[in-house]
Amino acid sequence: MSISIYDARLLLTGLLTTLALAVVGCGAGFLCGFAVAICRTTRAHGMAPLRAALYGYCLLFRRVPFLVTLFLVFFVSQSVNADLPTFAVALLTLCLIATAYLSEIIRGGLESVHSGQWQAARALNFSYWQALRYVIVPQAWRVIVPPAVGFFVMFIKDTALASQIGVMELTSAGKVLGNKGLPSMLVYGMILLLYFVISYPLTRLGKHAERKLAVTRNR
Amino acid sequence: MTLQFRPILEQWPYLLGGAWLSLEMAVLAFVCGMSIGLVCAALLQFAPPYPRRLITAYVTFATNTPQLVQIYFLFFGLPEVGVILPPLAAVLVGMTFNAGAYLCEILRAGFLSLRPAELEAAEVLGFSRLQLIRLVMMPHVMKVMFPSLSNQFIMMTLGTSMASVFGVEELTGRTLSLGADTYLSVEAFTVAAVLYLVISLVATFTLVLYGRLVHRIKTRML
Repeated sequence: MSISIYDARLLLTGLLTTLALAVVGCGAGFLCGFAVAICRTTRAHGMAPLRAALYGYCLLFRRVPFLVTLFLVFFVSQSVNADLPTFAVALLTLCLIATAYLSEIIRGGLESVHSGQWQAARALNFSYWQALRYVIVPQAWRVIVPPAVGFFVMFIKDTALASQIGVMELTSAGKVLGNKGLPSMLVYGMILLLYFVISYPLTRLGKHAERKLAVTRNR
Repeated sequence: MTLQFRPILEQWPYLLGGAWLSLEMAVLAFVCGMSIGLVCAALLQFAPPYPRRLITAYVTFATNTPQLVQIYFLFFGLPEVGVILPPLAAVLVGMTFNAGAYLCEILRAGFLSLRPAELEAAEVLGFSRLQLIRLVMMPHVMKVMFPSLSNQFIMMTLGTSMASVFGVEELTGRTLSLGADTYLSVEAFTVAAVLYLVISLVATFTLVLYGRLVHRIKTRML
């Protein structure tokens, strides 16, 4: 049995779905994570309940396995009769998890900037947002980027679990091809190679960024 | 929709048994992965270029491909060449393969943080080989590696949920079958999530305490 044009198309669709899941998950996770991190680094008393809630959220989603969260979101969406397609369920779960992990990375970056920088910015009459935008984030950036890229690589690999609720991504495509009678070794070898092709450049980029942004301690 | 936790909670010995298996798998894979990682890290340091390149290739490959697909390859692909692994063995081999690569990187980073001058100083002060390892190398290397190692262990504990895909009866697998038996999947997975949370918190607490008492490492608990 040889690989037909349909098999190739199936693989390509799977690859694109995996990429879509990864890109949207990472993008949304990064933006939401930034918002969560900013909320969690505030000091105002009025924000305390929000901070506590976000703390609980980050704790929970980083300490429950991806697969369990995925099934939980899947079954909840089924039982409230929301007719969500599995792709949307997977995407929602990915965003929830990426937000939790990335907010911790970003918070670490923001907190790595010495508090004197905040005070100096405020003394120069910068508003809160100006201080954040022009003083804190540019310095936090170099602490944030390398681990964030590392997380993106982990995250792309985790999207493989979305196959368990029936999303037609790369791993599912491999399963379908295997069930059609193609040699499993060939099929899964190919799938592994495709994942490698996606994540290896990102790993290299992360290493490059790490070297380039090597932290100069501006404390 | 109303939540009914009672039928799930009545099955707690069944779920706890699954949780215990998860923990056992994580420990076993961590220990095996640690020995692979140690050998690889040592070879990276001392071996001639050719085997070194081989190890780099292994680490790069294992860390850049999903563990799930690696286990699929072992479970469905290897029988074609006559190696038939039972599900649990396939998952454990896959986890070990993966953990070995990550642990190799962590250990290498730890050993690279050691400065030769430190060891020379110890030698000059007349430390024996064993004293040198115990009193100079370990405290320094552990300080760098211990947080990453504990993190890796906890990630692996959570990663055992992947075994349910292959029909291993660990916590997630048992939760799936419990949900299918009782039609209470939401409740079953809520309970499983709480159990995973408790397991990882207890593991973190134990590791942090161990790090504090034995290696004098100050890490934040949460």
